[in-house]
Amino acid sequence: MIEVPPIVLNILINFAIGLIVTISLNLEVGYAGIPQFGRVLAVLTGAMVAGAIPGRILALIMNQPSGADYAYHLINYRLVEEINRVLASNPMLSISIFIATLILAACIGGLVGYVTAYPAIRLKEAYLGITLLAFGDALQVVAWNYQPIVGATQGVLVPDPFRFIGVGELRFLTATLVMLGIALMIFLYAERISRSPFGRVLKAMRDSEVAAKVYGKDIPKVRAQALIIGSSLAAVGGALWAFYSGSMKAVAYGRLVWTFWPWAYMMLGGTGNNLGVLVGVFIFSTVRTLIYSYKGILTSIIPIDPNWLEYILVGLTIVVIVMFRPQGIMPEKPALTLPKKKIEEIGGVKSSIEK
Amino acid sequence: MIEIIVKALAYSSCIALGASSITIIYMATRTFNFAHASFIAWGFYVVFSLYSIFGGSPYLYLAFAALFSGMLGIFIYLTVNRRLLRARSSEIVLMMSTLGLDLILFAFINIYADFLTAVYGLHARYFVLELKDLTIDIGMFSIRAVGVIAPVIMVLIVIALNIFLTKTKFGIAMRASIENPNLAGMIGINPELVYMSSWLIGGLLAGLSGGLLSMVITGYPAVGMTTIVSFFAGSIVGGLYSIFGSLLGGLLIGLSEYMGIYFLSMAFGGEILAYRPIIPLIIMAITLLIYPKGLAGISLYRLKTLIWRGGGK
Repeated sequence: MIEVPPIVLNILINFAIGLIVTISLNLEVGYAGIPQFGRVLAVLTGAMVAGAIPGRILALIMNQPSGADYAYHLINYRLVEEINRVLASNPMLSISIFIATLILAACIGGLVGYVTAYPAIRLKEAYLGITLLAFGDALQVVAWNYQPIVGATQGVLVPDPFRFIGVGELRFLTATLVMLGIALMIFLYAERISRSPFGRVLKAMRDSEVAAKVYGKDIPKVRAQALIIGSSLAAVGGALWAFYSGSMKAVAYGRLVWTFWPWAYMMLGGTGNNLGVLVGVFIFSTVRTLIYSYKGILTSIIPIDPNWLEYILVGLTIVVIVMFRPQGIMPEKPALTLPKKKIEEIGGVKSSIEK
Repeated sequence: MIEIIVKALAYSSCIALGASSITIIYMATRTFNFAHASFIAWGFYVVFSLYSIFGGSPYLYLAFAALFSGMLGIFIYLTVNRRLLRARSSEIVLMMSTLGLDLILFAFINIYADFLTAVYGLHARYFVLELKDLTIDIGMFSIRAVGVIAPVIMVLIVIALNIFLTKTKFGIAMRASIENPNLAGMIGINPELVYMSSWLIGGLLAGLSGGLLSMVITGYPAVGMTTIVSFFAGSIVGGLYSIFGSLLGGLLIGLSEYMGIYFLSMAFGGEILAYRPIIPLIIMAITLLIYPKGLAGISLYRLKTLIWRGGGK
């Protein structure tokens, strides 16, 4: 069997999840121009779906407690182990539960995006940014304190759909590769959006709302659509992370990690450029994982706790990028128009252009 | 009951001071200051470390806390904010730059706390200064001094700000520059001086608010990050374009947080106490959805005519 060092796996999984969340952020910030400071809202929603729903469905099938009791940690820990044993012997069930949960997470994430569209249509800039931030914080407080959904402070275990592969290294390798695949699919999807008419409307709205309105674009609708798509992608990211880590605790879904860091990734790579975002996420997830993994060695070299080094690094990157290269490593490229011939073919307006 | 009211008053005065700091900086420079969280936390740590090392009363060191955060404000302006303002960056970029600075400052608070623990042997990661507060005896009650001192300081600041902005030449120049930078520049007001002084005043107020708040709640390095939402809410409820609106908004947020949760816990039991952080968020969301520009966006004139007409004639 191929031996993959755990540090490579860590980098890859951080890259995959970071890519999904940052791509979704880029869609809303880079393309649509919405100051999305509440990315954690959708991510946490996705994680809560993964933590609360697949286990309950399986518990219901197995005639086990599936109501509010399910989230009580003494019951939950035992029950999820039992569920995992069932999943281990049943690959088809595992895969279908995995896919169904992701679809459900995307739907509920989209719903959350639709709810946030209500303030997003009415408010501007700082007001909107802080309102979205408040939404994210509020959901975290609820998830952290309201026991019946996802077990409050104790958290819940998440059923492991990769259990049929094994429990050791192979399981993590497979899970990482699957998630990497999903991340790349989402990346391609975002690229497609950015080249579609919808993507051009988003950019037009970002650059000049009035001009887009003049051309008959329905601004509130387009904004809502961008928020719905972005939030559902982010929710998939949250659900994947919950599946990968095998447990779901609300404290792990704070605004620092799931809102501000994706912002830093995006700004480093290039706001409004998906490929740039990919590069930015890759650089950051590599450096962060390396710092995290070599903490011991770092502590002996520098007299401070490497945890704080990570903050300084992320903070400095944001400040330096903002000051000296606001467009990021890979600036957004102007969208190319179609060749003249093609336009003529489509429109059949050869004569009017030649005049 | 009286203890709750005193604490709520002290807390909301701190929130009001901090909210006005955010508003002043936003009005002058269009920068929504995320680094406010670290200003507050540094206020905590300046008071705590000076008090632990030199003794006396924590109140003696409030001025140092204010000065330190004021210096931080000037430092941020000179290093980052000035360049961005000259480049006419967008509001989102300005916001993000302060977020980056906040992360750096937050790391330094943690390093400083580690340093205090290692060198002075203090419990710098978790401290309660509240117990070091003086008590005032009024008749049969004995209340903590912060319940009197914080509101008094807030009122003094309101008066001082009012005099500064309406009676002194520089204050008037500042208001002119905020209202119309181009026109103010034409009559010889230096906008950069105005920006810098707004960062100084904002920093002073934030440090003062943090120093006072250390007498009300427990101190730890992430204290700014957890309380910042209340400050933001106060500032936004106040309308972001009015200093007195932000003071009012901060008072409203602080009082409703403390008193609201008290009444709710009487009605629904103690379990609800954990949901306290949601109260400012709800108030902010409701205010914004009704008045998208905050409380200051309510036109007093229209309100008066509305009441007048509603009165029958």
